Amino acid sequence: MGHVYSQYLGDPAVTPDHTKGPTFDPLYGYPGGRKERVMIATLEEMESAQLPLNKRDYCAHLAIDHRACRQRVWPLTYKCAHEKHTYLNCEYADYVLRLKEHERERRLLERAKRKAERAARAAH
Amino acid sequence: MAARRLLTSRTLIGLPGGLPGLLPGLYPGLLGLQVSRNVGHWNKDWKPKPYPVTPEERAEAARKYGLRPDEYEPYADDGMGYGDYPNLPVVSAESRDPYEDWDYPEHRRNFGEPVHVDFDMYGLDRINASQKMRFSMQQYALSFFGVMAVSIGIYYYLEDKKMHWPVLPKQYPGDGAVHYTFEPAE
Repeated sequence: MGHVYSQYLGDPAVTPDHTKGPTFDPLYGYPGGRKERVMIATLEEMESAQLPLNKRDYCAHLAIDHRACRQRVWPLTYKCAHEKHTYLNCEYADYVLRLKEHERERRLLERAKRKAERAARAAH
Repeated sequence: MAARRLLTSRTLIGLPGGLPGLLPGLYPGLLGLQVSRNVGHWNKDWKPKPYPVTPEERAEAARKYGLRPDEYEPYADDGMGYGDYPNLPVVSAESRDPYEDWDYPEHRRNFGEPVHVDFDMYGLDRINASQKMRFSMQQYALSFFGVMAVSIGIYYYLEDKKMHWPVLPKQYPGDGAVHYTFEPAE
């Protein structure tokens, strides 16, 4: 709620736009670099499994495993609990990463605002 | 006519209310007590006669409808009239005295009283065209359009201001896009 308030009523300048990606350089502030995300499932595998387009993210390989397990054991779908939980934990980690990206964007925007204010004060 | 229509309605038969109209073929019909199967029953004899031209026709028409000749005035015979049916002043049922001992309380009408040609529109459950309204038409219009304008204005103002979680969009591996985690590169 606080982010919605600050975006529309508070200070839109320091609130990230939730419809767009990060506006700052992803490696800014990481002198040692950041680990890249690896896509494990290949396009051929995803197409062969007929995975919906909105599930072809960085957890797609676990989605395919879960769907294959369900197809094997259906209707006894409780047997796929392990695959289901691995997939959902991956999705959760992905969501946490999105939260972190949003927070990083917000802190960099506030920092940019502070730097602009300091520059404006120094100019006088 | 509408008057005769009411006289033969279910209210005079004395059977449980609505029975002839709602349950066709029950015992009232079998016993021959039923005059009409629903309140909207029409009889060709009730059709108004053509527009009266001579004074004798006017007097006869006035007597037929229960009016004096000096207060009987049919609708103009311009192709949109109703033959010799009288042009009565509009008095809605709702604006009549609710405490008077009417013969037909649900219509607030007495026996033999002439019925307006749009009688079904001016009933208790429909339009009240004859009572002074509490506010002026300008006030009514202002209230209605004011509320509608405010609602529509709020809708369009908030159209691009949506609730959302504090997350950036989902990262999909696309052509050439590089995404990072928050762990240091080895």
